[in-house]
Parts: sequence; structure tokens; C-alpha cells
Amino acid sequence: MKPSLAVRIGSLTLRNPVLVASGIIGYGREYERLVPLEKIGGIVTKTVTLRARAGNPPPRVYETASGMLNSIGIENPGLDGFLESKVPILRDLPCAAIVSVEGEDVDEFCELVRGVDGCGAAHAIEVNISCPNVGPHGLRYSTDAGMAREVMAAIRPLTRLPLIAKLTPNVTRIAEIAEACEECGADAISLVNTFIGMAVDTRTRKPILGTVLGGLSGPAIKPLALAKTWEVVQAVDIPVVGMGGITRPSDALEFLLLGAAAIQVGTALFADPGLPLACVEEIEAYLGRMKASSIDDLIGALEVPEGRGVIRAGRAVRREHGGRAS
Amino acid sequence: MTGPAAVNLVPCTVISNREVSRGNFLISLRVSRAFAKPQPGQFVHLRVGDEGEPLLRRPYSLEGFVERGRVRAVRIYYSVVGRGSKVLASHAPGRELDLIGPVGVGFAPRPRRLPILVAGGRGVAPLLFLSRRLRDKKRDYVFLFGARSRGELYGAREVRGGRLHLATDDGSVGYEGSVLDLLEREWTKGEHTPLTAEIFTCGPHGLLHEISDFARTRGIRCEASLEGPMACAMGACRGCPVPLLPGADSDRYPAMCVEGPVMDATVVDWERLP
Repeated sequence: MKPSLAVRIGSLTLRNPVLVASGIIGYGREYERLVPLEKIGGIVTKTVTLRARAGNPPPRVYETASGMLNSIGIENPGLDGFLESKVPILRDLPCAAIVSVEGEDVDEFCELVRGVDGCGAAHAIEVNISCPNVGPHGLRYSTDAGMAREVMAAIRPLTRLPLIAKLTPNVTRIAEIAEACEECGADAISLVNTFIGMAVDTRTRKPILGTVLGGLSGPAIKPLALAKTWEVVQAVDIPVVGMGGITRPSDALEFLLLGAAAIQVGTALFADPGLPLACVEEIEAYLGRMKASSIDDLIGALEVPEGRGVIRAGRAVRREHGGRAS
Repeated sequence: MTGPAAVNLVPCTVISNREVSRGNFLISLRVSRAFAKPQPGQFVHLRVGDEGEPLLRRPYSLEGFVERGRVRAVRIYYSVVGRGSKVLASHAPGRELDLIGPVGVGFAPRPRRLPILVAGGRGVAPLLFLSRRLRDKKRDYVFLFGARSRGELYGAREVRGGRLHLATDDGSVGYEGSVLDLLEREWTKGEHTPLTAEIFTCGPHGLLHEISDFARTRGIRCEASLEGPMACAMGACRGCPVPLLPGADSDRYPAMCVEGPVMDATVVDWERLP
């Protein structure tokens, strides 16, 4: 018998732990011919903001060594446009639809959560408090534990849908932010959003991106993303959704082994739309080789020498996860 | 009215890949039947290597599409300008790759209007494709083709059924100067009006800007094929915005990949398009 790959994020059960990250696959329909959505856990939508956004001026993408810089700027139709034109698409998706939202202030976050909660098509909400490409202070809600707490505490009473707080890696102590979100009722933490990056055109002596700064994704960031995810799984008890640079199926295993309950495929999907399914198959095969009966035997199965690899951040490291974090 | 052909992920095999002039290559890729018949101006999003270098696919406009019996092949005319094209140039016949396509909006010539094709440099590729389709339909057309010098006038010899005029910056063949001058000369002959002719163009964006200004000030319909970096080419990532001039729809950025790459040149804000 095949082991079950089902994982839980709060009250949501995913058929398997493989998701597609926000900003990669639109609202699902864009890629429906290329990505077998009925075989993956789910997708996270492009982030929805309260008002429609045209996004940033070009150029918005630039390929770096094993990575991609982007400064899209959350181009999206706004909450009303989302409810009108995207919700019907999400209703028909053969996988979980996790709706990503980002507000400019606490009130906007509340309005977005109410709107998405009432739309009837969302299986969970990913609270994007970490986009580097919006406004002069785009990162404020996830670089400051107090502000993260404020947002999460305000939206928690507004919905029974699982709330997944998406964090930026552009902080010194990510565990502090994760703990703040957990304390305020987040059902899960997802990380990492992109690393702030930049590229320079030496010929024109100008920055390459239209917005000067952008977010770096792709295989270049995987080791960084793994370390941040490792830090967070040690700090919180809620499920952690890991992402950042997953390019090969075995990359997904790395995140699961260190304790992520689910993973998201991002940038690499652009080159390889078959990657999400390949990740599912790799996890299945790995469990077979482990002779494991459940994916729970894989999640957090990393063997760490006593006392090593412990990142002392935030409160106190209190999670015993595979390795003994004492 | 048929909708756009289905976009599929299609395996392909290099049939030939040769340098036709210094730094400029023509590659033929055999594609499976899953690849729908493309329109001139559409492109393929090609994974030029499978080892993660480069990371992203590269969008390539089609120079041609060949169907003989059950064999389908696409042709791409490209210059080695960066990481992706460098890897592509290294592939020998037999190499297996994959592509997504056909993607995007192609050229849409209207009935009973004379198409004037204006090509700059390697921008000739989709216009050669268009000229063959026009010839197949036994339509008359004018083909104006400018390049830096003789060696870069790829495909000029196979333009048939239309009236071809060449320009080179160095005067090595045809008119010495820009293809824009050729367009001005063609237009001032007085044979064409905005009601009887329309322009289809592809080339460096600086040239497209000039041609678009030429067309807009005279009220001529003008479609241009744009070029730029793309991540998904599916309309999902919003990474390839096209800035528009103030006016209708200028509060949003169409995605070059699915709302282009062929667009109404006279509404594009070329100053803001890299």
C-alpha cells in the first residue's frame, strides 16, 4: 500500500505537501494545461490587495547567477476584481486554493480577510506580510514582531479559515516574527519570501530593475531558505511551509526533512512546469525507500548531532525537532 | 472565428543549428503533433538547457513553421547575445529540448490592405514567416529590410511574391541608411494611404519607436512585434509589462507574453519600454 502523503495545515488537509507559491501560477487557470493541479496539494494565488494595482514599471525580471530578481509589484485586480473574476476560477480548481492577501495597513488586512473568507472558494489564507516590492515600507509588517502581531491579532477573529503567515527572510531573527504570528493565532508559517537584491548595468550605469531593488528567488537562495526554515521549525509548534529555490524534486525532501510540513515550488516552475508533480513522485518514492507508512515519518526526520545547528533566536529554542535542540 | 491555438509543453529535437552569418544562427527543431500550427508573430518559450543554466526559458519568435507529412518543425533565427543564446548555439543535431508554445498574439493583416513589412536586423525573423503566409495566400506585399551590412540581410533572397527593398547602414547592399528612410520613400510615392496599407514591423525597439511615430502621425495602422525578458510566458507572473501611452487602458500594463508580443505599435510608450 502506498503511504499517505496527506498533511494538515490547521483545519485544512492537503492531499500532499506540494504547493505552488504565490505569484508563480496566477490563479491556477494560466497553467492548467501544463501543471496537473489534480495531483498536487494546492496553489497559492497571486497576492490580492484591496485596490487594484498596475504593478511596477519595467524591467520587472532579471536573471542572475542561478537566480531571478523580480520587482513585479503585486499587479492584481484588487479585492473586488478578485471576487468577480478570479473566485469562479478558484471554485473549479481540483486542488486546494490558498488565497494570498496583502494590506497596506491593519484595516486593509481586515477587509481583505473578510472578503476572502466570504468568497466561498478559499481553503486557506496566506497573509503576505513580506513582499519586498510594494511601497517604501513594504516589509514593515514582517520585519517587526510587534507589527506582525498587530496584523495577525486583528484578522484572527475574522475567519475560521487557516491563516498562514508568510515571512520575509530579510530579518536578523526570523524566529521572533514566527513566534509572534503563532501567539496571535496563525495556523501555519510559510517562508521564505524573496531576499532583497539588486543588479547594476555597468554599460548604462543604471540599476537593472525599474524599481532599483527587487526580490531574489531561484536555486541561488535555497541554502539560505533552508537555514531560515530550520530556524523557524525549531521555534514554533504550528506547521511550517518551506520554500525558496526548490528546483529539483530532492530539494523538496530537504525542506521536509528539516521539519517543513509542506513545501512550495516557485521560480523553477517557469522552466519546468512538471516540477510540482515530480516533487510528489519523489516524496512517494523516498517514503517507499524509507519503508515509511506515512509522510509524518519524513517530516522532521533530519538527524542532527546533539546541540549542533541550533539557532538561538527569539525567546528560547524550545522545539525538539529531530535533532535535540536543547 | 477560431480561438488561439492551444499552448502546450512540447518536446523538441534539434534537426540543424547553423551559423548563417557571424553570431547569427538558424535552428530547426522538430516538434511533436502536440504543437499547434502557429501564426506569424507568435513565439515559443524554449528551455535552452536542462542543467539549470540558464535558469529561465527564453522566448524566441518563430522564423518559420514547416509541416511535411507527419513531421512538424519550427525554425528560430537568433543572435548570440547572452547566456541563453550561447547555450542554444552549442547544441548539435539530435539534442533534445522542450518548449512551450505557440505563445502569444501574432500579426493580424486585414483583408484588402497592402501589408508593408518593415524589418530591422534579426527582427526579420517573424516577418519572413509572415511574408511566406502572405505569399501562400497569393497576397501582394512590400518588404522593407534594413541591417547593418550585407551579411546580416538573412532571408532576403527568399522573399518572393512581394516587393523587396533593402537598406544597409554601410551601403554594402541596397540603400545606404535606415529602413525608416525606405519606409518614408515608399510612403511618399503616394501609392498608399492609411485606408489601403498597414505596417508590420519588428526590430530593435529604437527603430520600432521611430516607425511607430511615423505611423501614428499619419494615422497608419501599425503592428510591432516586441521583445523582452519573460519568466513564465503564460500571463501568470506579470514579469513582462508593456507600458502604454496616456489614454485608454494606460492605467495597466498588458503582459507582453500573452497580450503581445505583437501589439498596436502606436499605443506603446516606447520611452518607458526597455
